[in-house]
Parts: sequence; C-alpha cells; structure tokens
Amino acid sequence: MEPLLTIEHLTKVFPGQVALDDVHLTIMAGTTHALVGQNGSGKSTLIKILAGYHEPTGGPTATMHLGDALTELKLGDGRAADLAGIRFVHQDLGLVDAVSSVENLSLGGGYATRFGRINWKAETSRAAAELAALGFDDFDVRSPVGTLTPSQKTAVALARALRGWQDGATLLVLDEPTASLPGADVQRLFQAIRRLKERGVAILYVSHHLEEVFEIADEVTVLRDGRNVATLPVDDLDHERLIELMVGHVVDRQRSSVDVVPGELLLAVDDMTGGNVVSLHLHVRAGEVVGIAGINGSGREHIVPLVTGQIPSQRGTVTVGTTDIANYAPGEGVRAGMAFVAADRARLGNFAMLSVVANTTICDLSPNVRSGRLVHADEAAEANDWITRLGTKTAGGAVPIATLSGGNQQKVLFARGLRLAPRVIALDEPTRGIDVGAKEEIHGLIDRAATDGAAVIVASTDTEELVRVSRRVLIMRGGAIAAELTGNEITVENIERAQLQQKVATS
Amino acid sequence: MTTVINEPAPTSPTPTSPAPAAPTRNWTSRIGLDKYSALYLWALFMIVFSITSDQFLNWTSIRLVLTEKVIVAILALAFLIPLASDTFDLSIGHMMGFSLVIVNVIARDHPGIPQGVAAILALAACAVAGFISGFIVVRLKVNSFIATLGMSQVLAALTLMISGNRQINEAFSDAYRNFGRHKIFDLPMYFYFLILLAIVVWFVLEHTPIGRYLFATGGNREAARLAGVKTDLYSWATLVVSALIAGFAGLVQSWKVGTFGNDVGPGFLFPAIAAVFFGASQLRGRPNVWGTMIAVFTLAFGVKGLQLTFTGGNKPWIEPLFEGLSLLIAVAFASRQGIIKVPRRNRSAKPEPTAPAT
Repeated sequence: MEPLLTIEHLTKVFPGQVALDDVHLTIMAGTTHALVGQNGSGKSTLIKILAGYHEPTGGPTATMHLGDALTELKLGDGRAADLAGIRFVHQDLGLVDAVSSVENLSLGGGYATRFGRINWKAETSRAAAELAALGFDDFDVRSPVGTLTPSQKTAVALARALRGWQDGATLLVLDEPTASLPGADVQRLFQAIRRLKERGVAILYVSHHLEEVFEIADEVTVLRDGRNVATLPVDDLDHERLIELMVGHVVDRQRSSVDVVPGELLLAVDDMTGGNVVSLHLHVRAGEVVGIAGINGSGREHIVPLVTGQIPSQRGTVTVGTTDIANYAPGEGVRAGMAFVAADRARLGNFAMLSVVANTTICDLSPNVRSGRLVHADEAAEANDWITRLGTKTAGGAVPIATLSGGNQQKVLFARGLRLAPRVIALDEPTRGIDVGAKEEIHGLIDRAATDGAAVIVASTDTEELVRVSRRVLIMRGGAIAAELTGNEITVENIERAQLQQKVATS
Repeated sequence: MTTVINEPAPTSPTPTSPAPAAPTRNWTSRIGLDKYSALYLWALFMIVFSITSDQFLNWTSIRLVLTEKVIVAILALAFLIPLASDTFDLSIGHMMGFSLVIVNVIARDHPGIPQGVAAILALAACAVAGFISGFIVVRLKVNSFIATLGMSQVLAALTLMISGNRQINEAFSDAYRNFGRHKIFDLPMYFYFLILLAIVVWFVLEHTPIGRYLFATGGNREAARLAGVKTDLYSWATLVVSALIAGFAGLVQSWKVGTFGNDVGPGFLFPAIAAVFFGASQLRGRPNVWGTMIAVFTLAFGVKGLQLTFTGGNKPWIEPLFEGLSLLIAVAFASRQGIIKVPRRNRSAKPEPTAPAT
C-alpha cells in the first residue's frame, strides 16, 4: 500500500506553549486513519495546520501523492491543501440550513449552466447521485437542509467535500463528525464512510469516541502533549490499551485542600431530560463543588444550560433551596439564588457595549435603586468594589466590557453572579480561553464561594480544572452519569479514563 | 440589526481576540467630532447663516423652527424607546395619522363627547394597536421591522375607512385647541409638552432599572433573558408606549393645525428615524434622548438657514436632501473608528491563539 500523505518533523510553537513537537503522520492511500488524543494533545492544531488555519513553526512541508506523482505540499497553506485534494468536514458542517442540499453542494463549486442559466435539473440529479453513492437516497435533495436529520446533513457535507475529486487522490478529514449525532445516525454515517473507503478515499478520522475508532479505522495515531505516542494498526490494540496510550501516566497537580463538610441540600435536579441529557439526577449540598466531566456529546455540555434554563428541557425538575424552578425560566433561577456563568461568554453573557458597571449589576438592580431612581454612583461604587475584590483589570467601570481581555470579562461575569450571594452556582467551562493567571484566580473564587456555603457545579472539558476544584466528579457518558469519583479517586488519569470507557464497561 | 453605531465591534468569543487596546484617539475624537458633531454643526450654522441671512438670527425664525419640529421630535422619541431594546416601530407615522383621524371624527360627529375625552379615546385606540403589534412581535415571533411595517399599512387602511378619504376641517372647539397651543413665553404649550416628554423618557431610559433592562435587551437579548430580564415583556411594552407617544403626536397636530388630511403622518417617519440614528451618533454612542433632540433641531436650523440663504424661489428639495446627507455624514463620522478598525485589527493580528483549543 502506498502512502498518500506524509508529514514529518511538524512543530508548532504558540507563545508560551509547544503545541506540536516534531510530529509525524503517514496516511496510506485508501485507508481510514484515526487521530486520537486528549484535550490539549495537539490534534486540533494538527488539523488546523493541514487546513491552513495555522502555519507550522519552521515551515516544514509534507509530501502528497497525487496519482502517481509525488508533490510537495506546503503546510499551513489552505489553498495548497485544497488543490492537493485534502478536504475537510468540520464538526459544525458549515451548511446553510435555509437552502436545499442541491444548493449547498453547489455553493462555492459553481453550477451547471445551460445558456447561462443554472440548469437546476442537472444540478438536482447530480446531487441526488452523489448522495445516493453515500447510501443516502431516502430524502429529497430539493428540501432545505434545515429539515434533514443530523446524519443526512453530515452526508451532504461529505458529498460537498468530495465534489470534483477523484476518489483515489483524496484525503477526507473528518473532525469529530459524530459529536452531535444520535446513536442510530452514527451507524448511517459509518455506512457512508465504508462506501467511501470502498471507492478508495483515504480518511483522517478525528474523534473522542474510541469505540468508533475500533469500528471504522485501519490505523490509529495517538498524540499526547504534542508528541507522537504511537501509530498502530487498530487490530493490534484493545480499548484499554488505547486509553493507556492516550492518558499516559499523568502527574496530578495539587488538589484543592479545601474540604468543607457538606451542608443542606441546595440544588436538586431530578429526572432531567433534554439536549443530550437523559434522566439526570444531581443533588448538590452547601459547600460542595461537583465537577462534571465527559466528552462532547456525552451530555456534559447540556447540564448547566438545562439547570439554568438556557435551553428547554423535555421533563425533569430543578429545585434551588426549596424553590422549584420552571422549565426554561432563567429569571426564576436567578431570583431563587442561582448564579451561573455560561460557556459562550459573548453570546450568553456579555453585553458587549454596555459598561463594566452595567454588566456587573444587571441581574439585580434593587440595591442601587432609591425611590425608583437608579443611583449611578451607588452602582459604580458597588461595581468598583467587585473590580478591586476580583482584581479585574479594566480602564474603569464606565468602559464597555468588550474592551477587557477574556479573563477579565469572565471576572466581571463572576462578579455579576457572586454579588447575588448565590446559594447555587452553575459554571460551564469557567476558564475556557483564559490565560493561566486569571484561571488560577477564578479557581480561587470557586473555592471561596463553596467555603462560603454555596453549592457549585462545574462542567468542564479541562480535566485538570476539575481535579483542582471538585469535591466529587461525575463522569457523563451517553447522556447519563456513568461514574462518580470522590476523594483520592479524583485524578486526571481516572477522569480521562472514565470518560473514554465503553458504555458496556460501566462498573 | 444593531442599534449601536459607533461602538467597536464586539470581540469574538474565541481566545484569539487580543485584548482590544484603548481606542486610539485621533484628531476627530480629540476635538469630539465623533460625539459632538451635531453641536459643532449647530454652531457652524449659527455663524454661517447669521452672516448669509439677516433674518436667520431673529426670534421669529427661531420660534418657527422650534415649533415646526415638535411633531418630528415627539415621533423620534416614539421610535427611540423600542429601539433601545432593539425593536423597530415603523408604524409611528401612520399611528399618528390614526390618532389624528379618530380625534377629528369624534369631535366632528359626536358633539356630546368632550373633546378632551376624544383625545383620550384616540390615545387608547393607539395603545390597542401598539398592543397588537407587540403580540405579533413577541407571541407570533415576527421580526419587529416587518410586524410594524404591516401594522402601519393596516393603520393607513383604518385611517382611510374612518375618514372616508376626506379632509376634516374646523372640528375642534377653541377651548380644545387652546389647551395645546396657547402661548407661554411666546412658545405654544405643545413645545413644553415635548420638553416634558423628553425629560420623562430621558429619566426612564437613563435613570431607572427599566431603561437599563431595555438597553440590556437591545444589547444582547439572550444574555438579558438569562440574567432574568423579562425581555419579551419589555419589547411588548415598548411598542405600546411608542404607539401612545405617536398618538400624542397626532394630538399635537390637532392642536397645532386643527385639521385632518390623509397625508398627515407618514411623511414624518423618515425625519424622526433619521433624528434617532443621527442622535445615536451623538453624546453616548447609542440611541439617547438628548442626542435625538439635538439632531432634530440642528437639522431644522440647517434647513431653515439654507432656505433663507437661497431664497430664489421655493426649494422644497432642500429639506430632504439636507436631512439625508447630514444623517449619512454624522453617522459616517461616528462609525469611522469602529468600522475602519475592525479589518485593520484582523489583518495585523492573524489568528494565533496563545493556547490552542483542542
């Protein structure tokens, strides 16, 4: 078997961090190659370099076999990669929901025309044929993509990526294609991938789901901390061995020594179902910090949104103290004493053009209102107090929050919640995209809030963060809590192993 | 659709966005040309037109400008309130005509009903129309732009039905009209009503929790909802309030002119909206009451000065041309920083995260 793509000596240095250290990767023509690794292992960086989003440090080139010819491929050049036949299907698929599959397939690629007009008939039959070749002939290619099932959408994205390429010369990069697919849809996607494989398309498959790797891949490359750990045929591996390779032996950081005796029950979530979460029961007491781990799609990402009313639930109850919170009613939660910081700061947290002061006080203006009038001086004094307490770096309280760095914006959002003296604090990725110093300070805030008697939940993909702040850690798999770690069991290694375990292996 | 004109673009959520530096102060912002352009313009008009026309700086001209623009200013306030919560009310022009026809018809056909009561009935009818707009926007989830555009045509139809497509003259008693137009310090009462209304709207928007909630809703509706702000309620309420204020503009017309014509109302829509957007470029960088008032009267004095200077015949095209150009220029000045900076920042800082997400 011939190598299709060979990358050697690939290094990428970000300021203060080596993301990839002399990594090599060889993908054989016509095979499916899985790329696995934990968060921070460098696999995303590698994909982004292939796609031309990042440039590699030192500018190495890869070799790509196009037919019989061997070509040099400049890495970090998106256009060169595209011309060489490297195609990508990213996690969000990049489809336009409002228009049909036919139009989505033609976007960017041009249309078949007849006398200068788009020949829709030809376009439609071409699209139908392309999708049928992937095993998807069961939907109308003229209906809007928004009405399709997740696997049908993925098929459209696959067909679009492949359009115009000879099967043998193509490398298709699938970046976590199943992250948002329900179980049955995953099987349909796999059937499509197998058909592509039969046609001779090489696939680089990136996923957190190890069972998928065993099901679909021929070879697997494991990255850890930006280095190659191994490249092995899948047949030479088993699940446990692969986890071993991915996780390694991690030296744990110092755990928070704060150990509060849990007090009264402050947050009770029962039978919560919605998003990727199925029938979740979660009880948190005063002084507890409960970490929530899980790979994307496990339900971890929807727990805080469901509990705080960011997204509607299908059923289930949330009780803060003794107050029942209605479904999809974030205001009730806030008024009952539940503060939260959402994962998507820009979309769900910030009022970008309102001042730091206004961003701090928005949840409850009553302390600053005197006989119906909002007293700006009181408000500013209170916000300035929080700026000082949290060490927020800002040119003042009056500047728009958008002028602050990410970490400092996050501190403002923490101040927004903490000033309510909340009984429950729900945090979703509390330090995502934040520099190390601010991260440590935010962890300190979480400790202090718990010591002060709040019940805290922290959903995070940053395993070290969970180890640092949690008193117990719940591991989500397939929408449910699969394991619970407490005390000395809470280690990076244990959490990462547990979230990668197969469902059947649940103890 | 954003209501903010000269703010920097919101930073992206990714770690790639560098901490935006404090805005570099170039010469336009150092002399306040971005925030106070209307005041500069006003001063300029005062100087230039007092030289070019000896009739410009006399009380008669000034009084004329102040009283002529009251209706535009009131409609601008009607537009401003929903806009603060990022809700558009394009029905205010027809709403004004609707109110005007109701008060006229009641006064003409029902002499038994006191004309003050007729005015209140007109306002109530407007409130109902605004309530329906709110229902369409909040409950039926129709974009406010479209919902109020549709509502404005319904109101136009109702106005035609009620008036029978005829002018109405001399329907009002002197007592009714004097209530709104008798003069204090040589200015009619409705001018003082405008001042009062502006103060109330300013106070509510800038100095009460309601105003804060409106701007939060306008700034980031979902974040506001999650923070516990009743965003739907506020959007709905602003449409009722803007309908009431637009209806009040109709009453001002009934005091000021005292007649009804089918064409009264819609013509005020553009000047009112232009004043709000021009005004949003002034003082605070978002829609605000005094910026709007300054915009209305700056433009009015400019038009007046031009008309007095170029007196060679009637030149009705001066007003729309001048208003349109002024809006474009003022907003361009205000947006200059925000708009030009975005591509520049993106080019210099290629996405290069300090910590790559995996």
